[in-house]
Amino acid sequence: MFDYLYKIGIKNFIGVPDSTFKHFIEQGIRKDKILITTREEEAIGIAAGMLLTENPSLVFMQNAGFANSLSTITSLIQLYNFPLILLIGWRGLLKNDAPEHKKIGKIQPKLLKSLGLESRILNDSNWKQLCNWAVKMSKRDKSCALVLPRKFLD
Amino acid sequence: MIRKEAIEILLKVISKEPIVSANGFISRDLFNIYDKTTNFYMIGSMGLTSSIGLGIALKKPKKRIFVFDGDGNILMNLGSLTTIGKIGPKNLVHVVFDNSIHESTGGQPTGSDVISIDRIAKACNYSQVFKTSTKNGILKILNKIGKNSGPILILIKIKKGNSIGKRISTTPKKIKEDFMKDL
Repeated sequence: MFDYLYKIGIKNFIGVPDSTFKHFIEQGIRKDKILITTREEEAIGIAAGMLLTENPSLVFMQNAGFANSLSTITSLIQLYNFPLILLIGWRGLLKNDAPEHKKIGKIQPKLLKSLGLESRILNDSNWKQLCNWAVKMSKRDKSCALVLPRKFLD
Repeated sequence: MIRKEAIEILLKVISKEPIVSANGFISRDLFNIYDKTTNFYMIGSMGLTSSIGLGIALKKPKKRIFVFDGDGNILMNLGSLTTIGKIGPKNLVHVVFDNSIHESTGGQPTGSDVISIDRIAKACNYSQVFKTSTKNGILKILNKIGKNSGPILILIKIKKGNSIGKRISTTPKKIKEDFMKDL
């Protein structure tokens, strides 16, 4: 998925790691195209700066970090209309996932809806199509989110 | 020296170079002193000025990018200093106006009178760090720093202002579009 997004035009990947897409991040690090930040808001700020130079950018984070970023999304991304793509790892779905993920994982769809942020849920068969959708959204000057549910435990 | 005076001196040298300015009175003062299309006024998202500046600096390595930050702002996003220090953009000049208070919310203390933002920046691997509280000091620093020797942090100790500048009248969308066009 990393290689595919890169191929279709996303050259900047900034964010905070999440185990849900650790292979995605590993591939980005191997290609030296990933910038790891200390917090999700910081990643969004850097991406906004890159978007000011007309460089398509994606910010990745876990859903807990997405909740950290709500105010940044409303007062920077949506206020100035930055066409940012968010990639969100979604924890708290599996019954036996760690306890800290349960509540925030449950309200994840509601948070997206409250923000009015268009989003799609990734799976094994639709991911390519949804990557194309996200890039198309950004070209139309719209921000959007791709959500990757975590379906494994470690 | 108050912030307005410090900004006036800085603008004499910076002139048309791009500036990303923090929310609150910093952006308001900049807007009222020298409004130009290469100013990106960050209206909300407190703390993120230096992150936005970093993003621009990384993609425009031939341009010197200025960040006008405040003590309250940078203390909200200290992690940004570590990210900037880790990457080391040579074209980034990070100016912090430090009055040790959150001036626009009523003057509550930030604590920057007892901690050293300049020493934190140094520890975070900024290549040059300066501190001053005078107009002459600002001019000397600006003459000393080259075009490509960053990341640089300039800590300017200022006094609390005595007047409030007008709010920014440009819409956020227009701020962005103008900035992108003229960067």
